[in-house]
Amino acid sequence: MMNFVWLLAVEAAETVEEGGGLFDLDATLPLMAVQFVLLAVALNALFYKPLGKVLDERDGYISANQVDAAERLAKAEAIAKQYQQELGETRRQAQAVIAEAQQEAQKIAAQTVAAAQQEAQAQREQVQRELDEQKSQAMATLEQQVDGLSRQILDKLLGSLAA
Amino acid sequence: MALTMLMIHPLVLAKLEVGQHLYWQIGGLKLHGQVFLTSWFVIGTLLLVSFLATRNIQRIPSGLQNFMEYALEFIRDLAKNQIGEKEYRPWVPFVGTLFLFIFVSNWSGALIPWKLIHLPSGELAAPTNDINTTVALALLTSLAYFYAGFSNRGLGYFAKYIEPTPILLPINILEDFTKPLSLSFRLFGNILADELVVAVLVLLVPLFVPLPVMVLGLFTSAIQALIFATLAAAYIGEAIEGHGGEEHE
Repeated sequence: MMNFVWLLAVEAAETVEEGGGLFDLDATLPLMAVQFVLLAVALNALFYKPLGKVLDERDGYISANQVDAAERLAKAEAIAKQYQQELGETRRQAQAVIAEAQQEAQKIAAQTVAAAQQEAQAQREQVQRELDEQKSQAMATLEQQVDGLSRQILDKLLGSLAA
Repeated sequence: MALTMLMIHPLVLAKLEVGQHLYWQIGGLKLHGQVFLTSWFVIGTLLLVSFLATRNIQRIPSGLQNFMEYALEFIRDLAKNQIGEKEYRPWVPFVGTLFLFIFVSNWSGALIPWKLIHLPSGELAAPTNDINTTVALALLTSLAYFYAGFSNRGLGYFAKYIEPTPILLPINILEDFTKPLSLSFRLFGNILADELVVAVLVLLVPLFVPLPVMVLGLFTSAIQALIFATLAAAYIGEAIEGHGGEEHE
Protein backbone atom coordinates (compact mmCIF):
# COMPACT_ATOMS: atom_id res chain seq x y z
CA MET A 1 0.00 0.00 0.00
CA MET A 2 2.75 2.40 1.00
CA ASN A 3 4.71 1.71 -2.15
CA PHE A 4 1.62 2.09 -4.25
CA VAL A 5 0.92 5.59 -2.98
CA TRP A 6 4.55 6.55 -3.37
CA LEU A 7 4.52 5.42 -6.97
CA LEU A 8 1.40 7.43 -7.54
CA ALA A 9 3.08 10.51 -6.14
CA VAL A 10 6.16 10.04 -8.26
CA GLU A 11 4.06 9.38 -11.30
CA ALA A 12 2.05 12.50 -10.68
CA ALA A 13 5.22 14.52 -10.32
CA GLU A 14 6.46 13.16 -13.61
CA THR A 15 3.53 14.25 -15.72
CA VAL A 16 5.68 17.13 -16.85
CA GLU A 17 6.04 16.35 -20.47
CA GLU A 18 2.69 17.10 -22.01
CA GLY A 19 2.34 20.74 -23.02
CA GLY A 20 4.91 22.93 -21.35
CA GLY A 21 6.38 21.54 -18.18
CA LEU A 22 8.30 23.21 -15.42
CA PHE A 23 10.70 25.26 -17.53
CA ASP A 24 8.18 26.58 -19.97
CA LEU A 25 9.35 30.09 -20.80
CA ASP A 26 6.93 32.06 -22.93
CA ALA A 27 5.29 35.46 -23.17
CA THR A 28 4.45 35.24 -19.48
CA LEU A 29 7.98 36.41 -18.76
CA PRO A 30 8.00 39.84 -20.45
CA LEU A 31 4.42 40.51 -19.45
CA MET A 32 5.23 39.69 -15.86
CA ALA A 33 8.21 42.02 -16.03
CA VAL A 34 6.03 44.83 -17.38
CA GLN A 35 3.42 44.09 -14.74
CA PHE A 36 6.08 44.23 -12.05
CA VAL A 37 7.44 47.57 -13.25
CA LEU A 38 3.91 48.96 -13.30
CA LEU A 39 3.41 47.67 -9.77
CA ALA A 40 6.63 49.35 -8.68
CA VAL A 41 5.50 52.64 -10.22
CA ALA A 42 2.05 52.37 -8.67
CA LEU A 43 3.42 51.46 -5.25
CA ASN A 44 5.89 54.32 -5.53
CA ALA A 45 3.06 56.77 -5.99
CA LEU A 46 0.73 55.11 -3.52
CA PHE A 47 3.03 53.81 -0.81
CA TYR A 48 6.73 54.71 -0.83
CA LYS A 49 6.38 58.41 -1.58
CA PRO A 50 3.57 59.42 0.80
CA LEU A 51 4.70 57.24 3.68
CA GLY A 52 8.36 58.09 3.06
CA LYS A 53 7.44 61.76 3.21
CA VAL A 54 5.61 61.19 6.48
CA LEU A 55 8.60 59.36 7.94
CA ASP A 56 11.00 62.12 6.91
CA GLU A 57 8.68 64.82 8.17
CA ARG A 58 8.30 63.03 11.45
CA ASP A 59 12.06 62.67 11.73
CA GLY A 60 12.39 66.40 11.14
CA TYR A 61 9.64 67.16 13.62
CA ILE A 62 11.17 64.96 16.27
CA SER A 63 14.69 66.26 15.85
CA ALA A 64 13.43 69.86 15.84
CA ASN A 65 11.47 69.17 18.99
CA GLN A 66 14.45 67.51 20.53
CA VAL A 67 16.68 70.51 19.81
CA ASP A 68 14.00 72.78 21.21
CA ALA A 69 13.63 70.64 24.30
CA ALA A 70 17.39 70.49 24.80
CA GLU A 71 17.52 74.27 24.55
CA ARG A 72 14.76 74.63 27.08
CA LEU A 73 16.43 72.16 29.38
CA ALA A 74 19.69 74.10 29.19
CA LYS A 75 17.77 77.29 29.92
CA ALA A 76 15.99 75.72 32.86
CA GLU A 77 19.25 74.44 34.23
CA ALA A 78 20.84 77.88 33.88
CA ILE A 79 17.90 79.42 35.69
CA ALA A 80 18.11 76.82 38.45
CA LYS A 81 21.80 77.52 38.81
CA GLN A 82 21.19 81.24 38.96
CA TYR A 83 18.50 80.67 41.52
CA GLN A 84 20.87 78.58 43.61
CA GLN A 85 23.48 81.28 43.37
CA GLU A 86 21.05 83.97 44.37
CA LEU A 87 19.75 81.82 47.14
CA GLY A 88 23.27 81.33 48.50
CA GLU A 89 24.03 85.01 48.23
CA THR A 90 20.82 85.96 49.95
CA ARG A 91 21.48 83.46 52.68
CA ARG A 92 24.93 84.90 53.19
CA GLN A 93 23.51 88.41 53.28
CA ALA A 94 20.88 87.36 55.76
CA GLN A 95 23.51 85.82 57.97
CA ALA A 96 25.57 88.98 57.77
CA VAL A 97 22.53 91.06 58.70
CA ILE A 98 21.78 88.75 61.59
CA ALA A 99 25.36 88.90 62.81
CA GLU A 100 25.36 92.66 62.54
CA ALA A 101 22.07 92.94 64.36
CA GLN A 102 23.30 90.63 67.08
CA GLN A 103 26.46 92.66 67.48
CA GLU A 104 24.50 95.86 67.60
CA ALA A 105 22.05 94.41 70.07
CA GLN A 106 24.93 93.22 72.25
CA LYS A 107 26.47 96.67 72.08
CA ILE A 108 23.22 98.32 72.96
CA ALA A 109 22.65 95.90 75.79
CA ALA A 110 26.14 96.52 77.11
CA GLN A 111 25.64 100.22 76.84
CA THR A 112 22.31 100.08 78.55
CA VAL A 113 23.64 97.89 81.29
CA ALA A 114 26.60 100.24 81.80
CA ALA A 115 24.36 103.27 81.86
CA ALA A 116 21.99 101.63 84.28
CA GLN A 117 24.85 100.61 86.52
CA GLN A 118 26.21 104.12 86.38
CA GLU A 119 22.85 105.59 87.25
CA ALA A 120 22.37 103.14 90.04
CA GLN A 121 25.80 104.04 91.34
CA ALA A 122 24.99 107.72 91.13
CA GLN A 123 21.67 107.26 92.86
CA ARG A 124 23.27 105.22 95.57
CA GLU A 125 25.90 107.83 96.12
CA GLN A 126 23.29 110.54 96.23
CA VAL A 127 21.21 108.59 98.68
CA GLN A 128 24.29 107.98 100.78
CA ARG A 129 25.06 111.63 100.69
CA GLU A 130 21.52 112.58 101.71
CA LEU A 131 21.63 109.97 104.37
CA ASP A 132 24.91 111.37 105.67
CA GLU A 133 23.52 114.87 105.59
CA GLN A 134 20.38 113.90 107.43
CA LYS A 135 22.45 111.98 109.90
CA SER A 136 24.67 114.96 110.56
CA GLN A 137 21.58 117.17 110.75
CA ALA A 138 19.96 114.76 113.15
CA MET A 139 23.19 114.62 115.13
CA ALA A 140 23.30 118.40 115.18
CA THR A 141 19.70 118.72 116.39
CA LEU A 142 20.30 115.92 118.80
CA GLU A 143 23.36 117.72 120.10
CA GLN A 144 21.34 120.90 120.44
CA GLN A 145 18.63 119.01 122.25
CA VAL A 146 21.28 117.32 124.39
CA ASP A 147 22.69 120.76 125.13
CA GLY A 148 19.23 122.09 125.99
CA LEU A 149 18.37 119.10 128.05
CA SER A 150 21.68 119.10 129.84
CA ARG A 151 21.23 122.82 130.55
CA GLN A 152 17.70 122.13 131.81
CA ILE A 153 19.02 119.27 133.89
CA LEU A 154 21.77 121.55 135.10
CA ASP A 155 19.27 124.30 135.79
CA LYS A 156 17.00 121.92 137.64
CA LEU A 157 19.90 120.54 139.62
CA LEU A 158 21.24 123.97 140.36
CA GLY A 159 17.76 125.23 141.11
CA SER A 160 17.17 122.47 143.62
CA LEU A 161 20.51 123.11 145.09
CA ALA A 162 19.85 126.74 145.28
CA ALA A 163 16.49 126.24 146.75
CA MET B 1 -3.35 0.25 10.90
CA ALA B 2 -4.33 3.85 11.16
CA LEU B 3 -2.08 4.69 8.27
CA THR B 4 -3.93 2.56 5.74
CA MET B 5 -7.22 4.06 6.80
CA LEU B 6 -5.95 7.52 6.19
CA MET B 7 -4.63 6.61 2.81
CA ILE B 8 -7.93 5.94 1.19
CA HIS B 9 -8.89 9.59 1.24
CA PRO B 10 -5.72 11.33 0.06
CA LEU B 11 -6.10 9.90 -3.39
CA VAL B 12 -9.39 11.71 -3.65
CA LEU B 13 -8.43 14.86 -1.74
CA ALA B 14 -5.09 15.70 -3.26
CA LYS B 15 -3.68 15.27 -6.70
CA LEU B 16 -0.24 16.45 -7.71
CA GLU B 17 0.05 18.46 -10.86
CA VAL B 18 3.40 19.82 -11.89
CA GLY B 19 4.24 21.62 -15.08
CA GLN B 20 0.68 21.91 -16.27
CA HIS B 21 -0.49 25.38 -17.15
CA LEU B 22 -3.69 27.16 -17.96
CA TYR B 23 -2.79 28.53 -21.36
CA TRP B 24 -4.17 31.78 -22.63
CA GLN B 25 -3.65 32.77 -26.26
CA ILE B 26 -3.21 36.45 -26.98
CA GLY B 27 -2.34 37.05 -30.61
CA GLY B 28 0.38 34.54 -31.29
CA LEU B 29 1.54 34.57 -27.67
CA LYS B 30 1.02 31.90 -25.09
CA LEU B 31 0.52 32.97 -21.50
CA HIS B 32 0.30 31.09 -18.24
CA GLY B 33 -3.11 32.15 -17.04
CA GLN B 34 -2.87 30.75 -13.51
CA VAL B 35 0.26 32.81 -12.85
CA PHE B 36 -1.44 35.99 -13.92
CA LEU B 37 -4.57 35.29 -11.93
CA THR B 38 -2.66 34.90 -8.67
CA SER B 39 -0.27 37.73 -9.50
CA TRP B 40 -3.24 40.02 -10.01
CA PHE B 41 -4.52 38.95 -6.65
CA VAL B 42 -1.13 39.74 -5.13
CA ILE B 43 -0.87 43.08 -6.91
CA GLY B 44 -4.43 43.94 -5.94
CA THR B 45 -3.72 43.10 -2.31
CA LEU B 46 -0.59 45.24 -2.27
CA LEU B 47 -2.32 48.18 -3.90
CA LEU B 48 -5.36 47.89 -1.67
CA VAL B 49 -3.32 47.72 1.52
CA SER B 50 -1.14 50.63 0.39
CA PHE B 51 -4.22 52.64 -0.44
CA LEU B 52 -5.87 51.91 2.89
CA ALA B 53 -2.66 52.67 4.78
CA THR B 54 -2.09 56.05 3.10
CA ARG B 55 -5.71 57.13 2.85
CA ASN B 56 -5.68 59.12 6.03
CA ILE B 57 -2.09 59.83 7.01
CA GLN B 58 -1.51 60.88 10.59
CA ARG B 59 1.60 62.20 12.28
CA ILE B 60 1.09 59.66 15.05
CA PRO B 61 0.49 56.48 13.10
CA SER B 62 -1.89 53.75 14.14
CA GLY B 63 -3.25 50.54 12.76
CA LEU B 64 -2.50 49.83 9.14
CA GLN B 65 -0.46 52.99 8.62
CA ASN B 66 1.76 51.98 11.49
CA PHE B 67 2.21 48.51 10.05
CA MET B 68 3.04 49.78 6.58
CA GLU B 69 5.44 52.34 8.04
CA TYR B 70 7.16 49.48 9.78
CA ALA B 71 7.35 47.65 6.45
CA LEU B 72 8.71 50.75 4.73
CA GLU B 73 11.34 51.27 7.40
CA PHE B 74 12.34 47.64 7.10
CA ILE B 75 12.74 48.04 3.32
CA ARG B 76 14.62 51.31 3.73
CA ASP B 77 17.02 49.72 6.19
CA LEU B 78 17.54 46.84 3.83
CA ALA B 79 18.30 49.16 0.91
CA LYS B 80 20.41 51.44 3.10
CA ASN B 81 22.53 48.59 4.38
CA GLN B 82 23.24 47.20 0.94
CA ILE B 83 23.41 50.32 -1.24
CA GLY B 84 24.67 52.90 1.20
CA GLU B 85 23.31 55.95 2.94
CA LYS B 86 23.95 58.28 0.01
CA GLU B 87 22.48 56.44 -2.95
CA TYR B 88 19.77 54.22 -1.57
CA ARG B 89 16.74 56.47 -1.86
CA PRO B 90 15.94 56.14 -5.58
CA TRP B 91 16.23 52.34 -5.26
CA VAL B 92 13.78 51.92 -2.40
CA PRO B 93 10.76 51.47 -4.71
CA PHE B 94 12.46 48.78 -6.79
CA VAL B 95 13.94 46.80 -3.91
CA GLY B 96 10.83 47.27 -1.82
CA THR B 97 8.49 46.14 -4.57
CA LEU B 98 10.69 43.08 -5.13
CA PHE B 99 10.45 42.20 -1.47
CA LEU B 100 6.74 42.91 -1.08
CA PHE B 101 5.72 41.19 -4.32
CA ILE B 102 7.74 38.05 -3.64
CA PHE B 103 6.77 37.96 0.03
CA VAL B 104 3.05 38.37 -0.59
CA SER B 105 3.22 35.92 -3.50
CA ASN B 106 4.96 33.27 -1.42
CA TRP B 107 2.68 33.68 1.55
CA SER B 108 -0.43 33.74 -0.58
CA GLY B 109 0.75 30.47 -2.10
CA ALA B 110 1.32 29.01 1.36
CA LEU B 111 -1.71 30.39 3.19
CA ILE B 112 -4.54 30.61 0.67
CA PRO B 113 -6.06 27.32 -0.43
CA TRP B 114 -5.87 28.17 -4.10
CA LYS B 115 -6.29 24.54 -5.04
CA LEU B 116 -9.93 24.64 -4.05
CA ILE B 117 -10.58 26.79 -7.13
CA HIS B 118 -10.59 24.42 -10.04
CA LEU B 119 -9.18 25.51 -13.35
CA PRO B 120 -9.65 23.70 -16.64
CA SER B 121 -5.94 22.95 -16.64
CA GLY B 122 -3.13 23.54 -14.19
CA GLU B 123 -3.80 24.90 -10.73
CA LEU B 124 -3.48 28.17 -8.93
CA ALA B 125 -0.34 28.62 -6.83
CA ALA B 126 2.10 31.32 -5.82
CA PRO B 127 3.20 33.33 -8.88
CA THR B 128 6.77 32.76 -7.76
CA ASN B 129 6.53 29.05 -8.35
CA ASP B 130 6.49 29.70 -12.08
CA ILE B 131 9.92 30.06 -13.67
CA ASN B 132 8.65 32.91 -15.86
CA THR B 133 7.99 35.13 -12.88
CA THR B 134 11.30 34.50 -11.18
CA VAL B 135 13.27 34.95 -14.41
CA ALA B 136 11.38 38.17 -15.09
CA LEU B 137 12.26 39.49 -11.64
CA ALA B 138 15.89 38.36 -11.95
CA LEU B 139 16.29 39.96 -15.39
CA LEU B 140 14.79 43.18 -14.07
CA THR B 141 17.35 43.07 -11.29
CA SER B 142 20.13 42.66 -13.84
CA LEU B 143 18.79 45.61 -15.83
CA ALA B 144 18.55 47.60 -12.63
CA TYR B 145 22.13 47.09 -11.61
CA PHE B 146 23.42 47.73 -15.12
CA TYR B 147 21.43 50.94 -15.15
CA ALA B 148 22.73 51.84 -11.68
CA GLY B 149 26.32 51.21 -12.80
CA PHE B 150 26.10 53.17 -16.03
CA SER B 151 24.17 56.08 -14.63
CA ASN B 152 26.61 56.48 -11.75
CA ARG B 153 29.93 55.74 -13.40
CA GLY B 154 29.28 56.08 -17.13
CA LEU B 155 31.51 53.93 -19.30
CA GLY B 156 33.85 53.59 -16.35
CA TYR B 157 31.49 50.86 -15.28
CA PHE B 158 33.28 48.53 -17.70
CA ALA B 159 36.40 48.98 -15.64
CA LYS B 160 34.92 46.68 -13.04
CA TYR B 161 35.35 43.76 -15.45
CA ILE B 162 39.12 44.02 -15.25
CA GLU B 163 39.23 44.59 -11.53
CA PRO B 164 41.24 43.54 -9.63
CA THR B 165 43.20 42.03 -12.56
CA PRO B 166 42.36 41.54 -16.24
CA ILE B 167 42.83 37.81 -15.70
CA LEU B 168 39.45 37.73 -14.00
CA LEU B 169 37.71 39.18 -17.08
CA PRO B 170 35.97 35.91 -18.07
CA ILE B 171 34.80 35.27 -14.53
CA ASN B 172 33.53 38.82 -14.18
CA ILE B 173 31.56 38.50 -17.40
CA LEU B 174 30.28 35.11 -16.36
CA GLU B 175 29.05 36.66 -13.14
CA ASP B 176 26.57 38.82 -15.03
CA PHE B 177 24.95 35.62 -16.26
CA THR B 178 25.15 33.66 -13.05
CA LYS B 179 23.58 36.41 -10.98
CA PRO B 180 20.13 36.36 -12.63
CA LEU B 181 20.37 32.61 -13.05
CA SER B 182 21.03 31.98 -9.38
CA LEU B 183 18.47 34.57 -8.29
CA SER B 184 15.68 33.12 -10.40
CA PHE B 185 16.43 29.46 -9.73
CA ARG B 186 16.89 29.96 -6.02
CA LEU B 187 13.47 31.52 -5.67
CA PHE B 188 11.73 29.23 -8.13
CA GLY B 189 13.28 26.09 -6.66
CA ASN B 190 12.56 26.95 -3.06
CA ILE B 191 8.94 27.85 -3.60
CA LEU B 192 8.18 25.00 -5.96
CA ALA B 193 9.95 22.50 -3.72
CA ASP B 194 8.07 23.74 -0.70
CA GLU B 195 4.72 23.43 -2.42
CA LEU B 196 5.64 19.99 -3.75
CA VAL B 197 6.73 18.74 -0.34
CA VAL B 198 3.50 19.97 1.20
CA ALA B 199 1.48 18.45 -1.62
CA VAL B 200 3.22 15.06 -1.35
CA LEU B 201 2.81 15.01 2.42
CA VAL B 202 -0.84 15.91 2.09
CA LEU B 203 -1.14 13.10 -0.41
CA LEU B 204 0.36 10.63 2.04
CA VAL B 205 -1.03 11.88 5.38
CA PRO B 206 -3.65 14.56 5.03
CA LEU B 207 -4.01 15.52 8.70
CA PHE B 208 -1.58 17.37 11.00
CA VAL B 209 1.61 15.81 9.64
CA PRO B 210 2.07 18.41 6.88
CA LEU B 211 1.56 21.26 9.35
CA PRO B 212 5.20 21.58 10.54
CA VAL B 213 6.32 21.50 6.92
CA MET B 214 3.78 24.20 6.09
CA VAL B 215 5.09 26.36 8.95
CA LEU B 216 8.61 25.75 7.72
CA GLY B 217 7.34 26.71 4.26
CA LEU B 218 6.11 30.06 5.60
CA PHE B 219 9.54 30.63 7.09
CA THR B 220 11.47 29.75 3.93
CA SER B 221 9.05 31.83 1.86
CA ALA B 222 9.77 34.90 3.95
CA ILE B 223 13.50 34.18 3.91
CA GLN B 224 13.49 33.78 0.12
CA ALA B 225 11.78 37.14 -0.33
CA LEU B 226 14.35 38.71 1.96
CA ILE B 227 17.24 37.01 0.15
CA PHE B 228 16.04 38.09 -3.28
CA ALA B 229 15.56 41.71 -2.23
CA THR B 230 18.83 41.80 -0.29
CA LEU B 231 20.83 40.32 -3.14
CA ALA B 232 19.23 42.66 -5.66
CA ALA B 233 20.10 45.61 -3.44
CA ALA B 234 23.61 44.24 -2.92
CA TYR B 235 24.16 43.93 -6.69
CA ILE B 236 22.91 47.47 -7.22
CA GLY B 237 25.09 48.77 -4.42
CA GLU B 238 28.08 46.95 -5.83
CA ALA B 239 27.47 48.39 -9.29
CA ILE B 240 27.21 51.89 -7.83
CA GLU B 241 30.26 51.71 -5.60
CA GLY B 242 32.43 49.60 -7.82
CA HIS B 243 34.17 47.45 -5.27
CA GLY B 244 34.66 44.07 -6.83
CA GLY B 245 33.31 42.42 -3.70
CA GLU B 246 31.01 39.44 -4.10
CA GLU B 247 28.19 39.11 -1.65
CA HIS B 248 26.45 35.79 -1.47
CA GLU B 249 24.63 34.10 1.33
